[in-house]
Amino acid sequence: MWASVAAPGTDPVTLAAVVGRAAADPRGFGAAWTRAQREGLAAPAAVRDLAGTPVIATGAGEACAREWRSRGIRVTLAGDPGMPDRLGAVEAEPPWLAALGPSAPGTADGRGRQPAVAIVGSRKASGYGRGMAAWLAEAAGDAGCRVVSGGAVGIDAAAHEAALGTVGGTTVVLGCGHGVDYPRAHAAAGMLFDRILAADGLVLSESLPSDPPRPWRVRSRNRLIAALADVVVVVEGGERSGALITATWAAEYGIPVLAVPGDARAPGSAAGIRLLRDGAGMCAEPADLLAALPSTATPPRQTGAGTPTRTSPDTAPTAVQGLPADVAEVLVESWPRPVSLTALAAAVDAPIGAVMAAVTSAQVAGVLTRDVDGLRLRRAPTT
Amino acid sequence: MTATNGYTVEVSDASVATDRLARVGAVALTGLHGAMVTAEAVVAGGLPQIRIVGLPDATVREAADRIRSACQQSGFSLPGARVVVNLAPASIRKVGAGFDLPIALAVLAAAGHLSARAAADVVAWGEVGLDGDVRASAGTLPVASAARRHDARRLVVGAEAAGEAALVSGLEVVGVHSLRHAVEVVSGTATAVATATPPRPHMADVPDLADVRGQHVARRGIELAAVGGHHVLMVGPPGCGKSMLARRLPGILPPLDHDEALEVAAVRSIVGERVDLDLRPPFRDPHHATSTAGLIGGGSGVARPGEVTRAHRGVLFMDELLETPRATLDALREPLETGRVVLVRSQSRVAYPARVQLVAATNPCPCGHAGTQATPCTCRPDQLARYRGRLSGPLLDRIDLHLALEAVSEDVLVGPADGEPTGQVARRVEGAREFAADRWTRMASGSVGGDRSRPVLNRDVPPGTVRATVDVVAQRRLARAIEAMGGSARAFDRCLRVARTIADLEGRDDVRHADVDEAVAHRLDMGGPP
Repeated sequence: MWASVAAPGTDPVTLAAVVGRAAADPRGFGAAWTRAQREGLAAPAAVRDLAGTPVIATGAGEACAREWRSRGIRVTLAGDPGMPDRLGAVEAEPPWLAALGPSAPGTADGRGRQPAVAIVGSRKASGYGRGMAAWLAEAAGDAGCRVVSGGAVGIDAAAHEAALGTVGGTTVVLGCGHGVDYPRAHAAAGMLFDRILAADGLVLSESLPSDPPRPWRVRSRNRLIAALADVVVVVEGGERSGALITATWAAEYGIPVLAVPGDARAPGSAAGIRLLRDGAGMCAEPADLLAALPSTATPPRQTGAGTPTRTSPDTAPTAVQGLPADVAEVLVESWPRPVSLTALAAAVDAPIGAVMAAVTSAQVAGVLTRDVDGLRLRRAPTT
Repeated sequence: MTATNGYTVEVSDASVATDRLARVGAVALTGLHGAMVTAEAVVAGGLPQIRIVGLPDATVREAADRIRSACQQSGFSLPGARVVVNLAPASIRKVGAGFDLPIALAVLAAAGHLSARAAADVVAWGEVGLDGDVRASAGTLPVASAARRHDARRLVVGAEAAGEAALVSGLEVVGVHSLRHAVEVVSGTATAVATATPPRPHMADVPDLADVRGQHVARRGIELAAVGGHHVLMVGPPGCGKSMLARRLPGILPPLDHDEALEVAAVRSIVGERVDLDLRPPFRDPHHATSTAGLIGGGSGVARPGEVTRAHRGVLFMDELLETPRATLDALREPLETGRVVLVRSQSRVAYPARVQLVAATNPCPCGHAGTQATPCTCRPDQLARYRGRLSGPLLDRIDLHLALEAVSEDVLVGPADGEPTGQVARRVEGAREFAADRWTRMASGSVGGDRSRPVLNRDVPPGTVRATVDVVAQRRLARAIEAMGGSARAFDRCLRVARTIADLEGRDDVRHADVDEAVAHRLDMGGPP
C-alpha cells in the first residue's frame, strides 16, 4: 500500500512513522529534526532516528499518506535518492518532500543537472514588476533553466505563467500543504497550478497535506526556493518582503542574488534597493540573469533565442504575430512597461473600436495580457 | 346665477338632494394615478365649524382652518352652523394640500356664495392660503391627466400651476389667484377668463462632451451605451472624470418625445418641483449614502417616488457604487428589470415608472490608485480581492458595458480639447438607434420587450432575439474569446448585445468578428489576472 505513495527507495513504514509523528507533535518533531541536523547527523540516519522513537500516531501518518496517494503525490524522505541533491548540499533538506507533477524534482535530466533560477517578489506587484518577472522567467525558461517560485499572486504568478511552456519549465514551492487551496485563485481547478502541472511543471511542499499557510511556514519554505535555485532574482518587494528572506537564505548558501531596479520612490522597490545597496547583482535584462548562473550550471543552449538584446532600440521591431503593425510597435517600444488602452488608442491612427478588437484577438491568441495597469506583450519582443 | 347673499340656492337640480348640498370635483392621487373624488359639502346643524370626513390625511384635515380663514379674509361669510365636507368615495386615501380649493369651493357653494350647479361642473386643485390666495399644489399635472381621462371639462388651479395643467390637451384650464377669483370664474362673473397656455417644449442645457480630455476608450463606451441604452459600470481612479463623463450622457441621448417628456414632468409635479416640458432626458445622481427608500421610493401611507423614479426616461448615476449598502443596490434590481417600482404599504399600492439607464462608478481598489502611475496603490491583495468580490452579484449581472477610465496626464489636461462635441456624437447615436429600432420592429412587431409603442433598445431585446441576428461564426468566436480570457458564461449574452450595438453604430445588420472582439474588450472582468 505504501509503495505507490513513496518514491523509489523510500521505506514506506519509515515514512508513515515520520509523518505520523510530525502530525501528532509538530513542535517536538521540528525541534528533533533541527537538533539532528545541527549534530551533523546524515539525513537518512536522522530520519530513521526520528522514526525509531516510539511511534505516537501511525494513524495520522496513514491518513496523510492516503491523501497524498489519492492526489497522485510522490513523497520522498530525506537522504533518499528522489530528494533533490541541492537541498542536501546546502543543509536545507526537509525530513520529507511531497511532489506533484510528472518529473522527479531537481534530478538529473540526462545532460547533467538542470540549471534553475528563482524569481521572487511581492504579491502586491505593479505592472512593471509583473512585466519584468515575465520577461526574465521566459528568457530563463527558453534558455533551459527551471523557473522556481512560491506560487503566490503577483510576481510569483507572473514568473510561473511566463515560464509555462518553455523548455526549462517551472516549479512551485508551496507554503502550505497540497490539500489546502491557497492561493485560491491559483489552486482552483483549471487555474495556474493545474496549468503548470499540465505543462510538466512541479508543485512541491514540505508540509503535511492539510497544513494551512502560516507566516512562519511560508517564510520557512523560502529557504527551499533559494536552495533549489542557482541564482535568485528579487523583482519587487516592500520593506519587509518575504523575497528578502529568500535572498538572505541564498546568500547563506552562497547562491548569487540579483535585484531588479524599480522606481526609487515606489514602496515596491524597497527590497530591491536594499539588496543592491548590500551588494546584490544588478538585473536589468535576462542577459544579467543568465550571466549570473555559475559555470557548473550553464544552460544547455544559451543562444540568442531567449536573450533579446535591448541595447539597440533604433532597430525596427518586427511585427508581433496577430497584432496590427502600429499597435505592435507601441507595445514593443514600451516593453516590459504596460501601456494603457487609452494611451495605445491615442498613439495609433486607427479608430478606437478597431484597436480594442485587435487587443481582444491578441489576448485570445495569447500574445497580449491586460490587467489594471494596462496592456503588455506576453513574450519579450525579438528585434 | 349670482348667488352672493347667504342662502339663495337653486333647487331645481334633481341631483342636489337638499338645498344645502354642493359638490366640487377633485382628484385623489395614488402615485401618478389619479382617481376622481367628489368634495360634497352640506350645512348641518351644530356649532359653527368645518368638518372634513372621507379618509383625509393630516394635510387635508388641516384644510378646515385654512379655508375658514381664507373665506373670512375674502369677504365670504360662513354659515353659523356646522359644515360637513365629505370626500367620496371614502375608501380612497386623500393626500395633499391641493384638496383645499375643491373643499373651499364646495363649502362656499353650500353656504350659497356660489351656484351649486356651476360648481358641480368643475374640478379644482390648489392650496389655499390664510389670506385667500390660491397657490400651486404638488401633483397638478397628474391631477389634470386624471381629470381629462374622466372627461372633466374644466379644471381650476392656482395661477402658477395653470401652465403645468395646460400640458394636458383637451381640458379647459383656468388659473386663479385667489378664492374670490375662483368663485368669480366658476360662477362666470369674472371678466376675461383666459384658458392657460402650456409651456413650450425646450431642451435644458447640458455640459459638452468636448470638455472631456483623453479617455478615448471611455468615450467610445459611453457612445455605445447611448446607442444601446446599456447600463454602464465605470471604473477609474478618483478625479479621472467618471462623473464628468456620466453628466454628458443625457446630452448624447436622443431627446424625449412629447409623451415621455410628459411622464417626466408628471414625476416632477408629484414631488413638487417646477414643471415644464423639458425634452432632455433627466439626470439624477443620488449620494451613495441615500437610503433604500430615498432611492427606490418609500414612506408610510402612500409611498413617495425615489431617485430611480425621478430619473425615469433618463440616467441614474450611482457614484461610489461599492460604498452603497448591498441591500440598497439589490433594491434596484426590480426597477432595472421591469422599468417600474411597485411600493406596497398597508393602505396603498403605488407603481411608479422607473425606466432608467444606470451608470455606476467605482474606484479600482479601496485606495483608488490601482493602475495609476503617479500614486502607487497601497492595498493589500486580500483587500483588493474582497473589494473586487463585491463587484459581482445580481445587480452587476444587468450591466452590459464596463468603462475603464484612466488618470489623465498633465499633458492631456492642459492640451487642447481633443474630443468630439456632444452634437456630433448625438447625431450618430440617434441614427444608430433608429437603425436598431427599425430592425427590431421588422423582426417581430410587438413580441419584443419594452414599451410596444416606443422604439426598442438593444438593452431590452431578449437574448434569443439578439442571437438570431448574429451568425454562428461570430457567436463561436465570442464563446472562444470568453473562454480564453476566463470570462463566465453569463458574459456571453452581455457581450453579444454590445457587439450588436457596435454593428448598429456602423449601420450594419451583420455582426462581425471585430465587433465581437471589441465587445469583449469592453468587459473588465475578463483578461488576465486581477
